[in-house]
Amino acid sequence: MKFHLSHLQAMLLFALLVSIAFGFLSRRRPLDRAKYIVWSLLLFLLFGIGIGWAMYPFSR
Amino acid sequence: MTDETQIAAAPSRDKQREARAIALGVAGWLVPGLGHALQKMWGRALAFLLIVGVLVFVGAGMRGNLFTSESGDAFAALGYLADLGTGSFYWLAKYIEVGGPDVSHAYGDYGTRFLAAAGVLNLLAALHAYEAARGRKA
Repeated sequence: MKFHLSHLQAMLLFALLVSIAFGFLSRRRPLDRAKYIVWSLLLFLLFGIGIGWAMYPFSR
Repeated sequence: MTDETQIAAAPSRDKQREARAIALGVAGWLVPGLGHALQKMWGRALAFLLIVGVLVFVGAGMRGNLFTSESGDAFAALGYLADLGTGSFYWLAKYIEVGGPDVSHAYGDYGTRFLAAAGVLNLLAALHAYEAARGRKA
């Protein structure tokens, strides 16, 4: 069995799963949990893509 | 029951509660989500089982590096500790990853991170189950 995920696909899956885990760890009520998961996911993506673009000028 | 017997019984109850909390923490480490399931926290139990399971499954499928106890340097030792955090899923990952690790491609390197993240998240979940059993978190 092999998975060949691109960098973006791997980051999206990683961010989603870790955000859900953080939400379930730190919030009890479903609505608070959902808000936390969405915020965490957005911040993961923002920082991931932001750092990617910040490194772009030095990539070649 | 007199006050004196109540006072004498309290440390014994505390010890029992602590032992149960440790047992639940260890159960949660061995099988992701079990520590919560035994406390009837079904949502959390299912979430941790699925999240750790998917991370291990995809990480091993991407041929990530599953560290062993024979690894030489300090980073490999830390990687081994992180991988061991998945509990019984460490052996599941070994079973899935029949071709061995391949970090010569980028996806193999991502797989290594997936496996380590699964272990660290499972350790966090086990610690949460332990704290919940002690009544410090819910």
